[in-house]
Amino acid sequence: MGGLLDYLPGESIIHRLNPLVKLILSFGLCVSCFLSDSIIFVLSVIVINILLSMMARVFARTLLVFLSLIKFSTLLFIIQILCVRQGEILLNLPLGLYITDKGLMFSLLFISRLIAAAMPLSLTLSVTRVVDIANVLVSKLRLPYKYAFALTAAIRFIPLFSSEMAGIMEAQTARGVDFETKNFLKKIRLLLPLCAPLLISSVRKVEGSAISAELRGFNLRGGSSGYKQYPFKAVDYSALCLCAALVVVSVML
Amino acid sequence: MININGLTFRYVGANADALTDINLRIPDGDFVGIIGPSGAGKTTLTRAINGLVPHHYKGDYYGEVLVDGKDTLKHTPDQLAVSVGSVFQDIESQLVSEIVEDEVLFGLENFSVSSGEIESQMEWALNAAGIPGLRNREIRSLSGGQKQKVAIASIIALRPKIIVLDEPTGELDPLASRRIFETLRELNTQFGVTVVVVEQKIMLLCEFARRLAVLSSVGLAIEGSVTDVLRHIDVLEATGVNIPRVATLAGLLRKKSLFFGEPPINVLGAKAMIENCLRGENTCLD
Ligand SMILES: Nc1ncnc2c1ncn2[C@@H]1O[C@H](COP(=O)(O)OP(=O)(O)O)[C@@H](O)[C@H]1O
Ligand SMILES: [Mg+2]
Repeated sequence: MGGLLDYLPGESIIHRLNPLVKLILSFGLCVSCFLSDSIIFVLSVIVINILLSMMARVFARTLLVFLSLIKFSTLLFIIQILCVRQGEILLNLPLGLYITDKGLMFSLLFISRLIAAAMPLSLTLSVTRVVDIANVLVSKLRLPYKYAFALTAAIRFIPLFSSEMAGIMEAQTARGVDFETKNFLKKIRLLLPLCAPLLISSVRKVEGSAISAELRGFNLRGGSSGYKQYPFKAVDYSALCLCAALVVVSVML
Repeated sequence: MININGLTFRYVGANADALTDINLRIPDGDFVGIIGPSGAGKTTLTRAINGLVPHHYKGDYYGEVLVDGKDTLKHTPDQLAVSVGSVFQDIESQLVSEIVEDEVLFGLENFSVSSGEIESQMEWALNAAGIPGLRNREIRSLSGGQKQKVAIASIIALRPKIIVLDEPTGELDPLASRRIFETLRELNTQFGVTVVVVEQKIMLLCEFARRLAVLSSVGLAIEGSVTDVLRHIDVLEATGVNIPRVATLAGLLRKKSLFFGEPPINVLGAKAMIENCLRGENTCLD
């Protein structure tokens, strides 16, 4: 599990786009799916996502994301389709349930929107370092540095916590606790007592981090002391134009 | 220069002093090792030097600590940070970035070093820490020793006069530990950085440090040049620190009036000492 949002290093044109442009682009893709009522349009956005991921050479990752989104949406789709009661009945089911043409169209549109809107997020995080996103939010959008730092620190701590948890579980396994059990409730019962040590060691780590940051002048930081610059290049402007065009098309369709 | 005068400190809620009447002077350019049993206050002493005690860790504070002429009571830890850089015990939690370069940039950006100087300071720091090739690496892909060097690089990039390290080799194997100390020696001799390091591996420390300060639960037990301190086996034994076996041997030989020279700090020195004794040449340097 996990890792679907990790950065995948690369030198593709998508990787080299300005981080802010990538954010705007993924936002544009999301928004356009919700502006358009045409299922063809929304499906093409999914295709665009896949094409972009191929350009960035992270197609395998995108496929994984796509499949897990499909799994998740199937459930939503079923609930959705049974809830819509307007329109002509296509299929009668037991228990007084039925499927209508409107329900089918609506649910299809709904889940394709969901998928089309979630994919750009995963793609952006796959091809952009979080620190670059944070830096560009600070320098271009004037986000206070503290918030940007909190964002990067939180993401940095995730693997640290999971390795901490793995360490604690290993120690317990060595004492004969069997975490491999298939019984979900039993597993929860075994894991619950580990929360306290995990919390304590995590708090200690966060505290250590905060002190180390403070001793390196975290509180002295002004607004404009970023070293890395993120200038817009021609390719960035072209990407923005394409994005704007897509949004315009979505409004018209 | 670090000047500690009559420092006594007790953490809030604790029922014993963590430091008791410490008097210690560390001149510029020195390389001092701090040893002592667990709970003797070694970590607390490093905190008193970088100002975390009493600004971050509150408690009853008596006495005075002057770091580079600044009274640590009147300056906040980040004001002191320009004079004294700190490397902590837990390697993982003190690194805040994903990429080595960003880790070194962090302090430089915070202290508003101009972008012209940032590049040269970054290069200098990575070189001085012995990791010029790691600049673009992901920190989580590094070994413990490499991470520790990244921590050191990110501290010395700010060009502090003093660097304080709390058990920097605690999680490292012997070879990586030695590499860290070689890096510290380089910083000390090449760039004149004053090094204060808490260390459990006493043999290693004796080889690299110029002076030792031995903390015990009741205060500073002894302080002086490495050979002077190693001569006082009885004091070391009383504090409960691990004494290098070669030093114990030298102490025994001295008691039996077989050896009067400088106590050896490694196995080669011990070999020479024993050979001297066997030949009956009592190296009388006293
Ligand atoms: N944050 C703290 N709060 C309260 N007491 C502490 C704290 N840190 C250390 N101490 C106490 O201060 C004493 C010295 O601790 P420390 O400086 O960590 O020793 P050392 O590093 O030599 O093992 C110990 O008795 C310890 O329990
Ligand atoms: Mg300690």
